[in-house]
Amino acid sequence: MKKKLLLVLSIFVVALGGQGLFSNGLADEEEADYPTEPIVFIQPVKAVIFDHKFHVEEAGLDCESCHDDLFEQAAGTAEENDDFKMQALYEGKYCGACHDGETAFASNTKCAVCHIGVMGYNRMHKVDGEAEEKVHH
Amino acid sequence: MKIEDLERMKNEGPESLPSEERRKFLKMGLVVTGVFAGGSVLSLTSARNVYGALEGIKLKKYPYKPHYSMVIRQDRCIDCELCKEACVKTNNVPEYGYRTTILEREIPIGPDEFQREFMPVLCNHCNQPPCVRVCPTKATYKDKKTGIVMMEYKKCIGCKTCMAACPYNARYFNEEKRAIDKCNFCFDTRLSKGEKLTACAAACPADVRIFGDLSDPESRVYKLVHEPERVVWVLRPETGALPNVYYTKG
Ligand code: SF4
Ligand code: SF4
Ligand code: SF4
Repeated sequence: MKKKLLLVLSIFVVALGGQGLFSNGLADEEEADYPTEPIVFIQPVKAVIFDHKFHVEEAGLDCESCHDDLFEQAAGTAEENDDFKMQALYEGKYCGACHDGETAFASNTKCAVCHIGVMGYNRMHKVDGEAEEKVHH
Repeated sequence: MKIEDLERMKNEGPESLPSEERRKFLKMGLVVTGVFAGGSVLSLTSARNVYGALEGIKLKKYPYKPHYSMVIRQDRCIDCELCKEACVKTNNVPEYGYRTTILEREIPIGPDEFQREFMPVLCNHCNQPPCVRVCPTKATYKDKKTGIVMMEYKKCIGCKTCMAACPYNARYFNEEKRAIDKCNFCFDTRLSKGEKLTACAAACPADVRIFGDLSDPESRVYKLVHEPERVVWVLRPETGALPNVYYTKG
């Protein structure tokens, strides 16, 4: 278990270090300083995935597109807000600023593109058998 | 349970369904609009027009009052499993079993492109329940008033014949009860106490599980199932079990 965690951590460090490589492909003034691992929200429901890599590389957004107006840079800040719910998205807040049906697919469609669910969450956190999250409380 | 891949299936048309099967659904106020995958998935819409043509004649459409049923708006499910948690808490479901669960599948939407979809499943409270037919002690029975397929635990001898007969994998053996347990639409824990919704339906934040009385034209289930143009389907109709849990999108 400990060994595996170390391995995962070192892969993560290598991935971070490797960012300099593909930042060349981005606009000169932009640094590719974004997390390469997807962000997984677990509030208010388990679980929603957000991939920085996709949004920067495929959708062509830069950091300022979302930070800090829509999302504080510090991880987990949005999740602490009481209004971090679908309703806020429909009102153009958070992801809803783009996911409005015009800029990107509307927030009330294609639910399971972002919602990976409890099953998806458990799969991501399955470092080994014992680390698997239990659904029942 | 095998999950059929609706998206990819060719609609074989209602002709490929035995007429006896079609008559059964017509009696339920539904008309068959398509058959997928050799009849393992069947789509239905309201038979309003058929009944409209018979105006004046009193038709006994639904055998139960209330005729409890659930419509699952499948594409809205996000697998948050709050329904499952609520069911476990309300009905004291042990960790090794379930009364309802969520299935997951990947639908191909292009070359190497897949779209995730979640699908809640539970007992279908079949109109012709194979589980009831095979039970040697009548421990499981279809309630004459509500149509709910119920368990009388003390009659159950744990032979598991019903488990094998259920085409929907909706039963498990409860070690503590020493009997088979299954979804009963929360009859003992909620409905009989005046609650209008099952625990799972009440807990769903995405309004996926619509529960109610299919014989009441004012109910949401009635309106969804009878909405013209809306495609509603049941799972594995070829078994002839005639489910009371319907699936739809949107
Ligand atoms: S509570 Fe609703 S959205 Fe969540 S898993 Fe259950 S049916 Fe799906
Ligand atoms: S789904 Fe299974 S357990 Fe439920 S009524 Fe039908 S056959 Fe019986
Ligand atoms: S209706 Fe009640 S018993 Fe059945 S799955 Fe939902 S919460 Fe569980």
